[in-house]
Amino acid sequence: MIMGEKIKHKKLYALSQTDKKHIFSIPLRESIKIGKREYPIFLKSDEKHGTYILWKNRRYPVEIVRSRQNRYEILFNDVSYNFTVETPFSMQRRTFLASSVKGKTTEIIKAPMPGKIIDVLAKEGSTVSRGEAVVILEAMKMQNEIQTPVAGTVKRVHVRPDMNVMKDDILAEIEPAVK
Amino acid sequence: MGIKRILIANRGEIAIRIMRTAKKMGIKTVAIRTHLEPGAMYLDYADIVHDLSHEEPEISVFLDIDRLIAVALENRCDAVHPGYGFLAENAYFAQKCAGNKIEFIGPTPDAIYKMGNKTVAKQIAGSAGIPMAMGSNGNLSHEEDAVKAAEKIGYPVIIKAASGGGGRGMRIVRSSAEMEKMFILASREAEKAFNDPSVFVEKYIENPKHIEFQILGDKHGNIIHLGERECSIQRKHQKLIEEAPSAALDGTLRKKMGDMAVKIAQAVGYFSAGTVEFLLDAEKNFYFMEMNTRIQVEHPVTEIITGLDLIEWQIRVANGEKLTMKQKDIKLTGWAVECRINAEDVQAGFAPDPGKIEKIIMPADPYVRVDTGVRENSLIVPGYDSMIAKLIVRGTDRKDAMKNLKQALDKVWIKGCKTTLPFFRMLVRNQKFLRGDFTTAFLEKDVDQYHYSSDYEEKIAAFLAVKLFVKENYDQPADDAVTGRNQEMSPWLLNKRLRQF
Repeated sequence: MIMGEKIKHKKLYALSQTDKKHIFSIPLRESIKIGKREYPIFLKSDEKHGTYILWKNRRYPVEIVRSRQNRYEILFNDVSYNFTVETPFSMQRRTFLASSVKGKTTEIIKAPMPGKIIDVLAKEGSTVSRGEAVVILEAMKMQNEIQTPVAGTVKRVHVRPDMNVMKDDILAEIEPAVK
Repeated sequence: MGIKRILIANRGEIAIRIMRTAKKMGIKTVAIRTHLEPGAMYLDYADIVHDLSHEEPEISVFLDIDRLIAVALENRCDAVHPGYGFLAENAYFAQKCAGNKIEFIGPTPDAIYKMGNKTVAKQIAGSAGIPMAMGSNGNLSHEEDAVKAAEKIGYPVIIKAASGGGGRGMRIVRSSAEMEKMFILASREAEKAFNDPSVFVEKYIENPKHIEFQILGDKHGNIIHLGERECSIQRKHQKLIEEAPSAALDGTLRKKMGDMAVKIAQAVGYFSAGTVEFLLDAEKNFYFMEMNTRIQVEHPVTEIITGLDLIEWQIRVANGEKLTMKQKDIKLTGWAVECRINAEDVQAGFAPDPGKIEKIIMPADPYVRVDTGVRENSLIVPGYDSMIAKLIVRGTDRKDAMKNLKQALDKVWIKGCKTTLPFFRMLVRNQKFLRGDFTTAFLEKDVDQYHYSSDYEEKIAAFLAVKLFVKENYDQPADDAVTGRNQEMSPWLLNKRLRQF
C-alpha cells in the first residue's frame, strides 16, 4: 500500500498468528454471520464500561493494544489477538516471499515481562543449545530462566546483572546454527 | 482486657479483609500508606492511616520489623495482624511484638520457627508419625551432596528451600545432569526470597493432588480442623484456583488426614489459624508437605463451607478466648471455589501485566463473594503481587458451584490490564476439570490452550483489525497529519480513534 493511494479492494484478509485466514468483503459489513443469520456488531462506549462491542445482546470489552502498518493487536473479551491485514495483492506477494526466502535470521530474545536481571549466563561468542538459559530475570519475586528457542552462537548480550528491563527489551541476539 | 487497636502490617485485599472483621468486632485499625500506592483502596477502611508515603525506603515497610514495631507503638496498637506474605511467617517479628507487649495475631514464635523451617518441620512430623515423602536428612550445602542424596532417594527429586513458601526456591530435578544448575537456581532464589539459601531434596511425587487442611487452635490446647481445600491447579507451584471441599476425599479419608493435620499442630503447641499441606497420590496415599502458620489467600472457601469467620477467630484466640466449637460441631455445607484474578498475561506465560485498572465491575449475585483491594483507577504496581481480586463462588455441590462460576466469570469486567480471566473461562469448560479429574500436572498435561476463545470471538477481533485498516488506509482520517501514517501510535490515540468509529 503506497501512501495516500486510494485503491478499493473487493476483499481484505486478516491473518492470525496461527495463519488462520479471515476473509472480509469490502465495503465492510458491520456484522458477523452464524449460519445464515447475520448478527450486527456495535462498537460503543460509556462511562461505566469504557469501550465495548455489543454483539448478540452481550457486551465484550475491547481494546486496540498495538497498531503498526498492517499489524494489529486487538484485546477482545480479555484475549489478545494478533492479525496482519492483507490485500489480495499483498497476500500474493506474501505467499511468494514465504516460498522463496528461507534464509536464517538473527534470533532476538526479548524480556517477556518487566523485571530485574539477576544473572547473565550467555557470553558473547559462545555457543548455546536450544532451551539453554541465557539470562535469569526476576519479576514479581520469581526468578525466571529466559531460554534461547534456537541453537547457535551468542552474537550480542544487551544486559548486565542488576539491570532493570521493561517488557520486550532486547536481552540477547543469537545467530542460529546452520543445519 | 482484650485487643482494642490493631496495626495492619499488610496491604491490598487482605488488609481490607482484616479491617472489615475488626470493625464488626468494634476494634480500631491502623493502616500504613506507602509511596508505592499512596491512594490505595485499603487505606479507606482504616480508622487511622499512618502516612509513610514521603519515604522511599530500600526495603518495604511491610518487611521492616523495627519500623513496624515503632509504628505500632506510636499509634498505641495493642496487636498486629500480619496478613499473608511479608512478615506473616517471620518468627523474629512475632518475638519482637511480644517483647514490646504487642499481641502478634498468629501462633507463637516457636511454632512459626519450627513449621517455617521445613527441615525442622519434617523432623517434628516424622516423630509424630505423619507419613512423608523420603528426603535428605536436613539441609544440603553443595550440589555434590544433593546428587548423593538424590541417588539414594531415586529421581525425580524436588529441591525445596528450607525457609520456603509460595513455590519459590523450588526445582524439580529428573537426572544428576540437571542437579548443578537447578541447585544453584533454587538456592539463589531462596536467598533472595527468604534471606536463607538453605535447601533440601526429597522424593518428587509425580502427579499428586494438593490437599490442605485448615487448622484452628486456641491458647488452651484445643485444636480442630475445618476440612480441606484442594489447590491442585497450579502454575510453577503458584495456586490459581482453590476449592473446598475436595472431590478426591470421602468422609473416611477426610477424618484420617484431618486427624494427622491436628496431630502435627499439637506437636508444636499450635494456636490461631494454620494450614497443613499434603500431597495425595493416585492410590490415595498422602504425604505431609508443610505447614503454613498464617491465614491463607484461599481461606474464604473454608469460611463459606463452614460458616466461620477465620479472621474473627484469629483475633478471639489472640485475646485468649477458648474455641466454642468442637470437631464434631464442624459441618461442611455446600461447595466453594475461588479464582485468583491477577494482572497477568495468560498468553505470555502468565507474565505480570502491571498497570492502571481503568474499569472494574464484579458480579453481585448472592452466590458470589469478592475480596479485592482495587477499584477504578487503582494501580497494580510491579513492587507488589499482581492480584486484582478473588472471585469466590458458592454452590450446593461441585457441579452447581462450577455452573455459578462460569456465569460469574462472564460478568467480571476489567479494563486496563490483561488478566487471568481467559484462563478461568477455559477451565470451567474443561471436561476433566469439571469431573474433578486433575492433579498438579494438569496444566502441563491436560490443557493445550491456557485461554478460552471462541471462533466467533476471533472473527470479531479480525473484523476490528480490518475495520481499522480500512479506516487508516482508505478513509484518510483528518488526524493523519498529526499522527503520521504507518507510525506506531499510542494505545490512547488508538482507543480515541476506536471510539470515533
